[in-house]
Parts: sequence; structure tokens; C-alpha cells
Amino acid sequence: MLPLALVFVWQTWGVITGNPRTPVPTRVVAAALQLIESGELPLAIVQSLGRVFAGFAIAALLAIPLGLAMGSFRRVERNVDPLVESFRPIAAIAILPLAILWLGTGTPAAVLIVAYAAFFPIVVNTVAGAKRISPTLLRAAATMGLNRFKVIRTVVVPGALPSIGVGLRIAMGVAWTAIVAAELAVGAKAGGGGSGGIGQMMFVFYAYSIELNRIVVCMIAVGLVALALDRLLRGGLRFFMPWMAR
Amino acid sequence: MAISSSSRFGTVIAYVRTMAVFIAVWWAVSVWTSNLVLLPTPFAVIEAIVDLARDLELFVQAGISLGRMMISLALASLLAIPLGLLMGLRRTLDDIVDPVIELLRPISGIAWIPLALFIFGIGNALPIFIMTYAAFFPILLGTVAGVRGVDRGLIDAARTMGVPRRTIVTRVVVPAALPSLLVAVRLGVASSWTAVVAAELIGAPSGLGYAVEWYRELLMTPQVMAFIAMIGVLGYLTDTSLRALAQRFTPWAADARRM
Repeated sequence: MLPLALVFVWQTWGVITGNPRTPVPTRVVAAALQLIESGELPLAIVQSLGRVFAGFAIAALLAIPLGLAMGSFRRVERNVDPLVESFRPIAAIAILPLAILWLGTGTPAAVLIVAYAAFFPIVVNTVAGAKRISPTLLRAAATMGLNRFKVIRTVVVPGALPSIGVGLRIAMGVAWTAIVAAELAVGAKAGGGGSGGIGQMMFVFYAYSIELNRIVVCMIAVGLVALALDRLLRGGLRFFMPWMAR
Repeated sequence: MAISSSSRFGTVIAYVRTMAVFIAVWWAVSVWTSNLVLLPTPFAVIEAIVDLARDLELFVQAGISLGRMMISLALASLLAIPLGLLMGLRRTLDDIVDPVIELLRPISGIAWIPLALFIFGIGNALPIFIMTYAAFFPILLGTVAGVRGVDRGLIDAARTMGVPRRTIVTRVVVPAALPSLLVAVRLGVASSWTAVVAAELIGAPSGLGYAVEWYRELLMTPQVMAFIAMIGVLGYLTDTSLRALAQRFTPWAADARRM
């Protein structure tokens, strides 16, 4: 009820103040239809999603094995953990200027930022998951003559999966936020270069053609995609790990 | 798990050893690429940190960013904690407000930057708005969850003994919800600290994010790395001090140490 009421208040307030550029719901809907019809919005979303998936995949491929190794071998954890903990507090977006310096303003820089952002939640949760496995299970497996790697494959991995899943979900949310930030900043700093994506599109609407309605459309799209990604991941996790609570 | 002093010493050794290896590899790669703009040597970065610290520039920019974070954290807490308490206590209010929260929450603070730039312009207001927004949702949701998690028995017991509603809230609900409230504040700080860098990078004439971008444009990479390191150090320090605070005020909560 309240959302509807707020939309109504927003509409009447915007119409009464009377500036034809003020974003109001009806104009936002019109702008959304335009952007979808012209294919700009779907294209931008697909571009951003492509980067997110690429960065996310890289992060997962690096972080899950590393996390499993850290969680199962005390010595690996001791030696790698300082590095992880030293870089974890550095926000991914802070790395962006370096990424631009190294990789330019195109897709690789954005993918690097996403991978960096997604890496840490996955590592931390994988380590936690691997460590939470009951020592009894590990000892039982060892008693039955399994070697370390078999123990990891048959006991640690399945046991850590729910926690890894949580890490992946958090990482996906972070990755989507990071891509929007990266594209925005690239747009702001590279003079609206042609690398595309939803963040960049928003910045163009702000800086070059001041179209607030379209900015609002992009914001809503960002929110909807975030929701969709979370649902997708949650559904995927439930499908692959039906025993996982929640 | 109790940490004995010898294993803590071992941890320090392991830390120093790992970072030494990291710096050695970094140094080797930077000598190999021999491009000071792309990858300065670790010593150039240390020199830049010392210089920037001597100029006080490092601390001035850090102070500006931290100040903005304090203001936004205060704003977000002032808005979110009372609202969260009310929403946790009154189901009807929760039913009314929650849909709005759930509509706005997926829109990350960073996605507000273009619109906020238009509204506030470049300056202090933009990063503060973005950070307040980013900190608001974790604090609100944590508060609501904390209030919901309060043992019903405690509230009923207080009510049976004739304690007035207001006192129940201040003496029973708030203390019981405090651990998860403090965790919520920590999550809020973390998310607002990420947002401030983005906001300052794009739309502020000062602060750590601005400094990073400014020195990138000048191609002074050692300075860029110095400020990036500062962002990490401050992020780490705020988190550790909030953790310490949580442990001090709510030593009974296991939550305060984990996550």
C-alpha cells in the first residue's frame, strides 16, 4: 500500500512543481519504454552482466580452491591469510584507478574490479566452511585410509558447499555493485568512452544529455537486476544443494 | 579457541614472512617491467607514503573521508535505529514500511551517484548522502532482526511484573538487541566505506577517493598506491575498533567476534 501511495505523492508533487524535466513516475515509465524499445537498456544490461559473470567466474575459480587449501592445510592458511587479510579491507573501487592505468578504460579493467570484489567473500566463506567440518568426519575418513586429497574431495568439499554457496551469493551482490561503480567511474574519468554498460549509460545521461527520467530508469534497472541475480543464485544453490537449510 | 602467546608470536612471524615474500616478488616484477608509472617499486611507494605523511596531505584527506563517514554513520543510525526498533516492535508498522525498504534496498548507493550529483552537485553533500544511504539498510535490517530475536519470555516476564512499555523497550529490548545492533552498525560502516571511495572518486573535491584519482591523472602511481593503502588501513582500523567496542559492550555475544 505505502509504495503505491508514495508513487502517487511523487507523481502529483512532480506535476505540481511543474518542471517538465522533473522525473515523475509517468515520465519514467515512458522513458523506460523508449530505452527498452531502442534496445539501449537491454544492451547495456547485457554488457554489464557479461562483465559481472566473467569477473565472478575468475574470482570463483581462484577463490574456491584457495579457500579449500587454506581451510584444510594449516600451513597454507598461515602463509596466505596475511595477504588475504591485508587486501580485503581495500575496497574494490579504490583499485579502479590502478586498473585503468594497467588495462585502460575498457572491459578488462571492469572485469578485474569485479573479480577483486567477488574474490574475498568467496575465500572467507570457503575457509570458514572447510574449517567447520566436524573433526570426527575427517578422522573417520583418514582412519579408513583415504589420503589428504581424497578426504578433501569426498568430505571437505561437500561439507563446505553450503558455506561456499553463501560466499557466492554475497560475492554476486558485491560484484554487481562493483560493476556499476566501475562503469560510472570509468565514464566520469574517461570522458564517456565507448565501453558501455549500465553504469556508463547512467553517467552519460547525467553528464552529456541531462535526462533525469532515464537516470531513474537505470537505477530501477540496477535494482531489478540485483534482485534477479540474487534469486537466480539462490535458486541455483537450492537446486544443487537441496539439503542446505533455507 | 584460546590463542596462546606463542601461537600469536608465530602468527606475527608468518605475517612478516608472507609480506616480505610479497614485497620481494613485487620488487622483482617492478624491476623487470621497469616502468615506474605502471608499477613503481615498493620503495618508491614507501617513499611516497613518507612524503605524503610529512606534508600531512595523507592525514588531511583521510580526516576528510573519516569525517564524512562519521557524519553519515550518525545520520544513518539516527534514522535507522529508531525506525528499526519501531518496526521490530510493531508488526503493523513493519507491514507498511517493509515493502518500501525492500523496493529501495536492491538499488545500491552507488547507483544513486548520478542522480545525487545532479541534486547536490560536487561537494560534501554527495558523499555524505551516498554513505548515509549505504549504511542505512544494513543498520535498519540488523536492528529489526535484533528486536525480533529478543526472547519473548523476557518481555512477558517484565510485563507480568508491571513494567511500563517504555521501560520494557529501554531496559529489556534494547540491551537484548544490542549485540546484533552493533554487528549491524559494523556492516553499515563497511558498506558506507566502500561507497565513499566511489562517491569521492566521482563527485567530491577532496577525500581519499578524490586523491587516488587526482594522482592517477598526474600519473604519479606511487602516490596512488599510498592512498589506496591508506583506504585499506582505515577500513581495517575502523572495523577492528568497532569489533573491540562490540566486545567491550557486549562481551556475552559470540556474534561480536565472528564474521
